[in-house]
Amino acid sequence: MEPIITWLANLLANVSWWPWPAPPSAAIIIWVVYGLFIAFGIAPLAMIVLTWLERKIIARIQDRIGPNMAGPFGWLQAVADAIKMLTKEDTTPAGADRIPFNLGPGLIAVSAVLVFAVIPLAPGIIGSDLNIGIFYVVAVGSFGVLGTLMAGWSSNNKYALLGAFRAVAQLVSYEIPMAISLITVAVVAGSMSTLTIIHNQAVANGGWYIVAMPITFLVFFLAGMAETNRSPFDLLEADSEIVAGFHVEYSGMKYAMVMIGEYVHMLALAGLSATIFLGGWRGPFVEQLYNAVPILGGLLGLVYFLAKVLLFIFVMMWFRGTLPRFRIDQLLDFGWKFLTPLSLFNLLTSAFVVKLFQPAGTAGVALPAGPLAGFGGLGLTSALLISNLLVAFIASLAVRSLARRSRGNVLKAVAGVEG
Amino acid sequence: MPVDYLPILILILVAAAFAVIALVVPFYLGPRNPTKVKSDTYESGKLPYGDARRQVPVHYYMVAMLFMMFDIEVVFLYPWAVIFRQLKVFGLLEMGVFIAILLTGYIYIWKKGALEWN
Amino acid sequence: MTNITTEKLKTRFPDAVLGVESFKGETTVTLKADSLLETARFLRDDPDLQYNLLLDVYGMDRHRLGLSPRFAAQYELFSIPKNRRIRLNVPIAGPQAGNGALPKIDSVTGVWPTANWLERETYDLMGIEFAGHPWLHRIMMPRNWVGHPLRKDYPLGGEPVNFSFDKDNPRFAHLGKQIMAGPSFHSELAEEMDEEGHLIINMGPQHPATHGVLRLAVELDGERVVKIQPELGYLHSGFEKIGENRRYEQFIPYCDRLDYLAPMSNNLGYVMTVERLLDVDVPQQAQYARILLVELQRIASHLVWLGTHAMDVSGTIHALLMYAFNWREKILDIFEMVCGARMTTSYFCVGGLRWPLPGAFQDAVRHFLTGFYPDGINEFEGMITNNPIWKSRLQEVGYLSAEQAIALGVTGPMLRGSGLAFDLRKAQPYSGYDRFDFDVPTSDRGDSYGRYLVRMEEMRQSVRIVEQVLNKLKPGGPHKTSDRKVVLPPREEISTSMEALIHHFKLVTEGFKPPKGQVYGLIENPKGILGFGVVSDGSAVPHRLRMRWPSFVNLQATDTMARGGLLSDIVTIIGSIDIVLGEVDR
Repeated sequence: MEPIITWLANLLANVSWWPWPAPPSAAIIIWVVYGLFIAFGIAPLAMIVLTWLERKIIARIQDRIGPNMAGPFGWLQAVADAIKMLTKEDTTPAGADRIPFNLGPGLIAVSAVLVFAVIPLAPGIIGSDLNIGIFYVVAVGSFGVLGTLMAGWSSNNKYALLGAFRAVAQLVSYEIPMAISLITVAVVAGSMSTLTIIHNQAVANGGWYIVAMPITFLVFFLAGMAETNRSPFDLLEADSEIVAGFHVEYSGMKYAMVMIGEYVHMLALAGLSATIFLGGWRGPFVEQLYNAVPILGGLLGLVYFLAKVLLFIFVMMWFRGTLPRFRIDQLLDFGWKFLTPLSLFNLLTSAFVVKLFQPAGTAGVALPAGPLAGFGGLGLTSALLISNLLVAFIASLAVRSLARRSRGNVLKAVAGVEG
Repeated sequence: MPVDYLPILILILVAAAFAVIALVVPFYLGPRNPTKVKSDTYESGKLPYGDARRQVPVHYYMVAMLFMMFDIEVVFLYPWAVIFRQLKVFGLLEMGVFIAILLTGYIYIWKKGALEWN
Repeated sequence: MTNITTEKLKTRFPDAVLGVESFKGETTVTLKADSLLETARFLRDDPDLQYNLLLDVYGMDRHRLGLSPRFAAQYELFSIPKNRRIRLNVPIAGPQAGNGALPKIDSVTGVWPTANWLERETYDLMGIEFAGHPWLHRIMMPRNWVGHPLRKDYPLGGEPVNFSFDKDNPRFAHLGKQIMAGPSFHSELAEEMDEEGHLIINMGPQHPATHGVLRLAVELDGERVVKIQPELGYLHSGFEKIGENRRYEQFIPYCDRLDYLAPMSNNLGYVMTVERLLDVDVPQQAQYARILLVELQRIASHLVWLGTHAMDVSGTIHALLMYAFNWREKILDIFEMVCGARMTTSYFCVGGLRWPLPGAFQDAVRHFLTGFYPDGINEFEGMITNNPIWKSRLQEVGYLSAEQAIALGVTGPMLRGSGLAFDLRKAQPYSGYDRFDFDVPTSDRGDSYGRYLVRMEEMRQSVRIVEQVLNKLKPGGPHKTSDRKVVLPPREEISTSMEALIHHFKLVTEGFKPPKGQVYGLIENPKGILGFGVVSDGSAVPHRLRMRWPSFVNLQATDTMARGGLLSDIVTIIGSIDIVLGEVDR
């Protein structure tokens, strides 16, 4: 205990030079409040709002009405569900390993919540601007796998066991392309801090990264969907095959925690995508307004950010409503044979383009300017876009030629070659 | 800077508290009357054949091994990515060589059939 | 009589053929039990005969027919290349009563693998033992059931059956002796299943993708399927036994409840069989109406298949299910308009239609067709036919070659999905199908995707038939035969004619009595060939009512198709077989 306490004391002593104009105790109070807001506010809210939204959107896609009895437009339905989950009997299967069985859902939910620490919700509102921001996201996200594995393994159920096997295979496989695409972003932005990434997406600096790096975005988003276990990558729970996969034995609030984990993960993915590729809270008039009236500017930024997040969430739900599910071997094929090499090549070409176009500057040491730095941010953006499209074109050619030779049908499907 | 991680620490504690509360509260709110049938393992409505916790063939270990290989590579890429702008052209070339070596291994395992899950 | 089959059999096996009988265009060859196997091989392999498809195996308890020996096994054979049928009747000597030793006959599983389940069923329900059967266990009744329900001396009811889980509860003490021993017990697994090294997992009866209470014991190596052992009988309700204790016309409503997705087709199959037994002529317009309704039914059944299949494969595109059900709903509306019922129609009766078609019928059908074809079908196709994930999930999954399919007795769209253009509507047209123009869609793929394509095209062809029928259908005219021995006379006739009153009285109190004999009627149902075997002893109640349900036979191919695939493929394969548990377990 002694070293930890000393470390904490040092931390608190160091707080005095934290750049905020508030005394250290106030800073801690703010962080605790912000933490409470994220954990007790966003997490249950995500569950309630997103389940309702998902049911409504999917219902519309399916030519149905969706929940419409509890409250106007049925929005109280999710609240009713939450209350039901809270008051449900909590069963533990005989022969379950109780400690991991109870720990698993908690871990899943916590790992999802932690991602929000580095997502700026609005100008000036961020948990902590870590200089390893996106690395932290990958690190925190990957211990959700542990929760899934614990849940599946401890249930003493064969469906859960199969789900756990799949969880390891799937989540671990898609971490690679996701991490590589984030590294590509870091190379272009020159930093892993989310605030810097948002700053670099100002129009003057070249604009949104989704324009500059569509392939990187696609890889990130698809891998992220696989990480968050969303359809068509929802093999861990594949209801028509392994019933509910790793969480088949959960009931009541533990089940709800798994669901919270899923929906918060989804929200975190949408938030990250919005931050990294759509410029976060960036939008017309935000900065001017923020400089004049910080609260109004912050609110406007929050509105922009939420709009972008909702856009991604809608896309995810749209996928769920329209796409069939992959099979596990096809899923692994897609990850290992398509996304991983694609992201690696994309990283190399993007790095090359950045080397050509990078502007001069200082970040501790002098940054050498690239030979084509004169074209500015817009030049970088268009060059990146061209290189991305080139990579996509070459990849499609490669996939086509491979698909003709390969026995597996995933590559064929990706390439559209008749089997 | 370590102080940057204080909010993270606080968030971990708060989130853990949330998880604990959410798991403990229903313990008092919900009814509890477990029966033998209720606590049976679900296996599509039949008594399961044997126990789930025993030696079973898992064919995904290859994925885990590949993951180790690539994950270590990715760990090397992070610091490179951050200081990439400070590096001269040599940094780009060197990482190119690094990735090329990895891709060679990647192509090798593909040809060897390690990526065939069937 | 110049029947090449019987001539050849007689010259080749003069001692084995005990007799040849012909009734209503069907030939029955009575064979000696000990020469069954060589005769069967000859029938299958002889180039002039080629009886490659074994449609049905069933037992006969001839106790009350006064025949000896008491039991006989019957085999319905079909030669697809020669388009011919024959029935083998094999009386079995041996122990004739009691629950101990059973009469014994050689198994034909070595000749026609499809006999596997059919023989198990016969063993289970009729108590005939098949020597050399790979795994002769009960299939419909529970493992520890006592007795064989289809025997004529089996008690018809009144014995307590304890289905309570809670057998120690004093509330159930009055149930006394129990036929079923335990609350939940494990059925035996096939010997070759490796319980130690592999994972054996139950899929079903409570599983989202087994379409009801089907249970599969799946042996898994990792996620690779090593063997599947389907378990049936959860929904077994003894329809054959019911049919043998109801008058002919009383069984029609039961047909609806078997393949509940195609009640019209079931009705037609049964009604046509009885009509053939009675030699009843059905009016032309009623025949047309029957074809029209049956083709609409085929579309409706395929729509349910499409929706549920898509849902199984994807788990989440219920959208297709909802769209498909929307269209099916419109077909059901037409059915409701015709007969008042949506699913349990019972609209066809022996001799025609139960009621005349309503006046707005044709407009309603036309209205449905204009929306459904081609836009409706194209919408479905647009959603999934070229979807890469859909293709990769279905292509090369559940492969069945044409030879395998025939050997396993698979019929219907599954057989056509393996590349064989065999459709009873073309091969042996019934009810006037030969007057209409349509194609038999096939696919050479042999996988789930091929079966998918075939069914989609079949819907189009059904629309084609419906359109043609609509042009020929004229309102008015008789909707029933005028044979007063079979159908009730109209109301006004009863009050004026004594003869009509007597007919009415006789029909209501006794029912019609077909002549003695045996017929086996076939019909191309949406899921495959449906067969009704009716043995009449001259009374108003069939002596034996045998049904061959396509889902039951097709389901047998699951193991062959799923072996070596992944766990997820099972779901695709079950979906592409298109089973209805009501007719699997019956």
